[in-house]
Amino acid sequence: MPNFYSAYTPLRMGAMADDTSIGGARHQFPSTHWSLIEGTRSVHAEERQRALDTLIRAYWKPVYKYIRLHWKKENEPAKDLTQEFFVRLLDKGLLDRFDPARARLRTYIRVCVDGLVMNEDKAAHRMKRGGDSVLLPLDFQSAEGELIGLPIVTEDDPEKLFAREFARSVFGIALERLRRECDEKGKGLHFELLELYDIEEGGNELTYEEVARRFAIKPTDVTNYLAYARREFRRIVLEELRAMTATEDEFRREALALLGVRL
Amino acid sequence: MNKPLLGLVLGTILGAFDGLTAWFTPAVRNALLGIVIGSTIKGLIAGVLIGFFARKVNSLALGILFGLGVGLLLAFAVAAMQPGPDHYYFAIMLPGGIVGTIIGYATQRFGVRPQTLVR
Amino acid sequence: MTHFLSDSALERLREAADSPDLTGTRYRLVDKLGQGGMGGVYCVEDTELERRVALKVISVPNPDGAGTVRLLQEARIIARLEHPGIVPVHDAGVLPDGRPYYTMKLVQGRRLDEHVESVPSLSHRLRLFLRICDAVAFAHAHRVLHRDLKPANIMIGPFGEVLVMDWGLSKLLGPSPANDISIVHADSGAAAENRTMLTAHGSVVGTPGYMSPEQIRGDASLDQRSDIYSLGAILQFLISTGNAEAMAKPLSAIRVRAMAEDPEARYQTVSELSTDVAHFLDGLAVSAYPEGPMVRAWRWVLRNRTWILLLLAYMLTRALLIFFRPR
Repeated sequence: MPNFYSAYTPLRMGAMADDTSIGGARHQFPSTHWSLIEGTRSVHAEERQRALDTLIRAYWKPVYKYIRLHWKKENEPAKDLTQEFFVRLLDKGLLDRFDPARARLRTYIRVCVDGLVMNEDKAAHRMKRGGDSVLLPLDFQSAEGELIGLPIVTEDDPEKLFAREFARSVFGIALERLRRECDEKGKGLHFELLELYDIEEGGNELTYEEVARRFAIKPTDVTNYLAYARREFRRIVLEELRAMTATEDEFRREALALLGVRL
Repeated sequence: MNKPLLGLVLGTILGAFDGLTAWFTPAVRNALLGIVIGSTIKGLIAGVLIGFFARKVNSLALGILFGLGVGLLLAFAVAAMQPGPDHYYFAIMLPGGIVGTIIGYATQRFGVRPQTLVR
Repeated sequence: MTHFLSDSALERLREAADSPDLTGTRYRLVDKLGQGGMGGVYCVEDTELERRVALKVISVPNPDGAGTVRLLQEARIIARLEHPGIVPVHDAGVLPDGRPYYTMKLVQGRRLDEHVESVPSLSHRLRLFLRICDAVAFAHAHRVLHRDLKPANIMIGPFGEVLVMDWGLSKLLGPSPANDISIVHADSGAAAENRTMLTAHGSVVGTPGYMSPEQIRGDASLDQRSDIYSLGAILQFLISTGNAEAMAKPLSAIRVRAMAEDPEARYQTVSELSTDVAHFLDGLAVSAYPEGPMVRAWRWVLRNRTWILLLLAYMLTRALLIFFRPR
């Protein structure tokens, strides 16, 4: 089965959902918070699919890395556990027990992962049982690459660890969407500047004059293009995050946490 | 109350009081009224002079020294005017100097200095 | 090409996403100064007036616009308080990214809790305290409560200027409690760190340790006596930090009265509190510490000791001259 789930590409399961299907038509969000959880419980298959799509897309990498880093599992068992977790999420109604008033979704998912790993023997037994269990096409190779290829400092606090990986996942999804939108609008250079300054190491030490010469544009263009890209990045991050959270209140708290605002 | 006026009032009061203490000297008790008037005028003059000094010079130390000096000087003058062989320099100048010191201190600490215009 | 997002890239993207978008405005971003509960404060350059100012912006506005309303209300409340001890507001509006902001004077100095370590003299600290009281009294006179007074929200400038900062929790008292305007309403997004607390009533209050009991309870009808409690806590901080001298009883009594549990037992106005502190500094009697006649007399003697010594010297001299004159 082809790997659909690289660092940026969205999850695809079953029918190939339009990757701009988040929030419906592109850039449009319902005026009320679209409840991710309600979506997973919807009677309409398409809405259910969209909700699950969003959920898995946002959380699969954080779950995998959490199992690897916090639970110190090797990559093969971690893959199995990740698969098992999402299968349970879909089949066993794990989400039915989630109450947004008591905890945020991210915390609930992490705690469910903890519960699963602690019972890993049973999970492994179940995995061996059936050839009929569905395996999700998750790009574990890229996730593993992120773990190995970079000097990631492990966090002792599991909540912080999971939160950081969730942030990485959300930012990754947002960057991919930003890149796509910039390409469609002919603003590929805008995205390149964002990559240069905010993603690549050492990029933020370059002066606008140096960059302007490199791309044969004016320094003021560098300022404006970068501002555009950052503004759009922010907008997309918040839109994606809104789709990944259960309530408006949770969205605001997650947004503040994502942006590094200490509450 | 401005400083010269404060000096005047204080000097008058202290001068009068100073003059009244002459009652404890029987030898001069007959001339008490004159002594009191003279002492009062001495105190008044000292007070005004010291008050004007305080208006011009803003320094506690200098004000006290000036008061002491004026008090001693005027007291010397009064003592020198005493008839007879005994001028009572010490008995007149010492309290006079202290009174001058008190007025010098008071006019530096209290009283209103006139506003100076910034041109 | 896909990128792995390193931790440092994550931080840079965070900053990029949270930084204010100043495109098309008269401001140019210089640096980030700090992060509050709901947003950040940045140093920006006002290119029109060629000066640096502080810009406060909300990180994530509420979709219903409540955050915008709150921030602009905060700006308006501070703007009506024109006092040398209250940081002035210059401008307010909405950024191109849709976030509300306001700009204010860029205060360069040290927070009171940092500055006080270099001030060993009690009288100097009390004089600082009096200037804080001046600013708060002015706010109260304009019917504004601060509700988050604490040493960290007081700045001491390089020339000794005292500025009361961070009016983010302030409240404009209306003619009745129903007309009060609180800057921060019930916000379940606020967590209990050292800035804000959520009470059972859902009202956001100040900082533990400096909050009045009625603030902790979440009483809707707070008045200026709540700020007076906080000022009492600041006074306690000033007189108990570092090498401050042993607390004199009148000063201790002032603190106790300012921090009385019952608002009725406290000073009723900031002016009463500052008058007592000023009296203490001048060696006068304070209303919080009733003194007997002997103590009052001794205080009077101490205040006028120079006078008394001079007069005693005169009288002693006179007495000596009278009783030891040659017969």
